[in-house]
Formats: sequence, C-alpha cells, structure tokens
Amino acid sequence: MDWSPPSRRSASRREQNLALIGAVVSGAVIAVGVLMLLIDRVNPDQGSHLRGAALDVTTPVWSVVRAPVDGLARLNGDVSDYFDAIDKNRALAVELQASRAAAQQAGALAAENRQLRGLMKVVEPQVRLIATARLAGASSGGALRSAVISAGSRDGVRPGQPVRAASGLIGRTLETGGHAARVLLLTDPASRVPVIVERTGQAALVTGTNSPQVEVRDRISDDVPLRIGDRLVTSGDGGIFPPGIPVAVVSRVAEPPLARLVADPHGVGLVSVETAYLPVPPPPAAASAVPVPRGAVGGRAKPVAPAAIIVLKPGLSPAPAPAAKPPR
Amino acid sequence: MSADYRLRSPADRLRWLAASWRAAVPAATILFLLFLMTVPIVLPWPALPQLGLLGVFVWAIFQPGLMPPYVAFVLGLIADLLFGLPFGVEATLFALTALFVRIFERRFGHHRFGFDWGIAALVAVAHGGLGWWFLGIAGVDGPLRPLLLQALTTTAAYPLVVLLCARLQRSWLA
Repeated sequence: MDWSPPSRRSASRREQNLALIGAVVSGAVIAVGVLMLLIDRVNPDQGSHLRGAALDVTTPVWSVVRAPVDGLARLNGDVSDYFDAIDKNRALAVELQASRAAAQQAGALAAENRQLRGLMKVVEPQVRLIATARLAGASSGGALRSAVISAGSRDGVRPGQPVRAASGLIGRTLETGGHAARVLLLTDPASRVPVIVERTGQAALVTGTNSPQVEVRDRISDDVPLRIGDRLVTSGDGGIFPPGIPVAVVSRVAEPPLARLVADPHGVGLVSVETAYLPVPPPPAAASAVPVPRGAVGGRAKPVAPAAIIVLKPGLSPAPAPAAKPPR
Repeated sequence: MSADYRLRSPADRLRWLAASWRAAVPAATILFLLFLMTVPIVLPWPALPQLGLLGVFVWAIFQPGLMPPYVAFVLGLIADLLFGLPFGVEATLFALTALFVRIFERRFGHHRFGFDWGIAALVAVAHGGLGWWFLGIAGVDGPLRPLLLQALTTTAAYPLVVLLCARLQRSWLA
C-alpha cells in the first residue's frame, strides 16, 4: 500500500487541496504548541487530572512486568558487591565499632533531650505514615527527574508530601492518580530541600542539577567552610519535610558546593509516603490572588509558602493520628 | 478514503476496511516506545534515549502520509503526559521533527542509512537545545548539559529503532 503524500506535481485538484489543508493544520498545531507553553508558564497546574489518569494507565503494567527491571537493577549491585566484598567487610567492621559507641551516646542524648522537651512543654507535630509503595515508573529520559510510585489518591497520597526510603530522603509527591503518584526526585532542577549542615548547624538549600550530585545553595554564614563528608539533614523549614532525615553528604567544597545523595532511588525497593510535616493551611480568599513565583518554593509546587510562617507556632497543626508509643 | 471506493465490490470494500487498521501501526509503535521510556529504572543522568522522537523521525521517513506533523503533535502531547513535562514541550518538538523530515525529504529524498543517522543526530541535538528553550518558556529552568547527554544516547539508539520500524514496515505496511 502506498500512503505517500501527494506531491506538488500531482494533477488532481482534490489531492492538492488535501495537501494544502494538511500544511495549514500542521502549522496550526505548532502554533498551538507554542501557545500551550505560554499557558504553562502562567498556570503550571493545568491538566493535573489528565496527568494523574496517565499515571494510572502505565503504573499497573510496570507493577506486573517488574521481574526484568528488578533483575537489571540488581545485576549492577551484585557485580560490584562481588568484587569488593572483602574491602567492604573490613570497612564495615571498623565502622560498626565506631557507630556502636556513637549510638550509645546518641541514645543517652535522645533520652535527655526528651526529658528537657517534656520540661519545656514543646509541642511536636506528628508525622503519619500514609502509604508504603514500590517504584513503578520513572522519567529517566527527560528534563523532569521523577519517579512513579504505586500508591495514589485512593491510598491518601496528595501532592506535596515527603517520600523517603529507609536510608534517606527520596523526594516529594508532585501529582497523583488514583493508584499512582509522581515523585519529584531530589536530582530534579526544580527540587529545593531546606537542610542543615549537621556539623555546623548552618541552614542551606539542596538543589537538583539533573545529574548525580546535588548543589548546596544559599548557605547561611558561608564564611564557615564546609568539609568533605559533612552530612546534610532536613531542617523542617518550609513545612513539607520533617526535620532530621538524611539527605546528602558533601562531596565537593569549592564553589558551588556539591553533595552526593544518601538514598539512591535506583537501588531502593520500597518507599514510604508521609504526611507533610506541617500541613498547608487553606489560603485566605484575598491571598489566593497573589501569584507565587515558581522557582521560589520548588518547581511546580502548590504554593507552600504560608507553611513557613506557621513553623513558629507548631501547636496549630492538626496532628491527626499520633503514632502509638510502644508499651514499655 | 480511497478515491475509487465507489467502484469496488462489497467484498473488496470490506477487505479494504479490514486492512485499514494498518494505518495506525506507526502511531502505535511510537506509543509503545513512549511507554517503554517510563521503565522504572531511575538513572542518575537523563540518559534514557528519547525513543519517541526517533520513532517520529523514522516513521516520517518511511511513511510520510501516516506521520504528518499533527499526528506527531498528538503523540507528543501523550509524551508530555507520561513524562510529567509541561504540556506542549514534546508536542511541539515532535511536530517540528515531522515537519522537518517532510521538508527535508522533499529536498533530498532517497539516501543511505549513514546519512539518515547523521541527520538523526542533528535532530537529537536540536531536540535537546530547543527542548531546553521551550522548558524555559514554560517556566521550568534547568541546566542544558544533561539534555545534550541524552542527545548522545538518542543517537546511539537510532539503529535499534530503525530495525524495529523496518520490520514492522515489512510485515504490515509493505
């Protein structure tokens, strides 16, 4: 069969007309595309329902067809494990001894801290686990660095909730379908995570660069130098990420400082979604007209700026279901 | 619809209608490639080749009538949905690719594989650069270099996509 388009030399007027209409429609769709880009700039959240529905279509398939993907991911780890098993074992034995001592010290400090907080009547917002899910999709081929997890709005996942693995922070939810949600990874250029440098207590922002390492920006009192190996943990500012989750380890101190992420989404199997540390209060009617600059709070996030104000009075947060304390 | 439709016998018409699903093969291939790109492997670089772009490029060469810019546009919108990009980025890029191939083929038709590969590399680099610019228009700023890295892997994946499309072309559309 021949579907080739009519050439200009074709005598048939009908075909010429069709070719003309095709050319006009082609030009029109490109113009519409550019117009859509401009609309995106004004309204980044357009079509979020459609996006959610698209997630629901692809996620079930990848949830079933996991075996080859898991195999590929594991293969990489297995090969490297095999080659440096002995070195790793020795290093781990040394590290274990050091960390046992540190853990005892930390336990004592935590107990003391709890006592002091009890005396001061500090009200801690409670973070609640919403869902535990598998990675069931990613966009490794685009400008947006995201992963898809197999839990969605039916499980209680909403946009703007922290996602973490056992070893550290992964990102935050961006948009949700019924059974799947897109997670903005820390490597995305739009991702901003407020952190503190554990050693010095300096506040900073961890920003993605679309490459394996993240950048440490806007460090408070940056005359105090960073050191390679400094741990960065979430500070709790901004109200999405609860404080104290490991984020990254500094790997370059020259400007701009870079850090290597602690939790590698490539290797994690299960991630957990938690409630936002301090939930976003409903915006007052007058304030909703104020445009929030896009880069200020991290990509195409819903405006979360009000939460930063609420940080000062944590007693206001609803704390829906306090985590049960173990009976001891 | 074919011009001589009225001249055909009823059985022939039925056969013609039953065979018309083949017109959807190119678009279906590209949908499959786009779906393949959402594979749950999180790479530290955006290193997964842009298979959808290659699909549009190859089908626009093989079957220009079945991959006009407006079909490529719709496929690009689906790509935007799947990758979570702002609406219109891949849509405009796919449509521009199909348009470029259409104009280019009219000027320099019928050439060898290596030549096409070179053009595909140019298209991949243009896709990275223009995509970065379009994302800037849509309000998403980021570094350009990782997108050019993707252009490299896209170029490397070109023969595979050509192989797939050529097989489909031979078995369904020849």
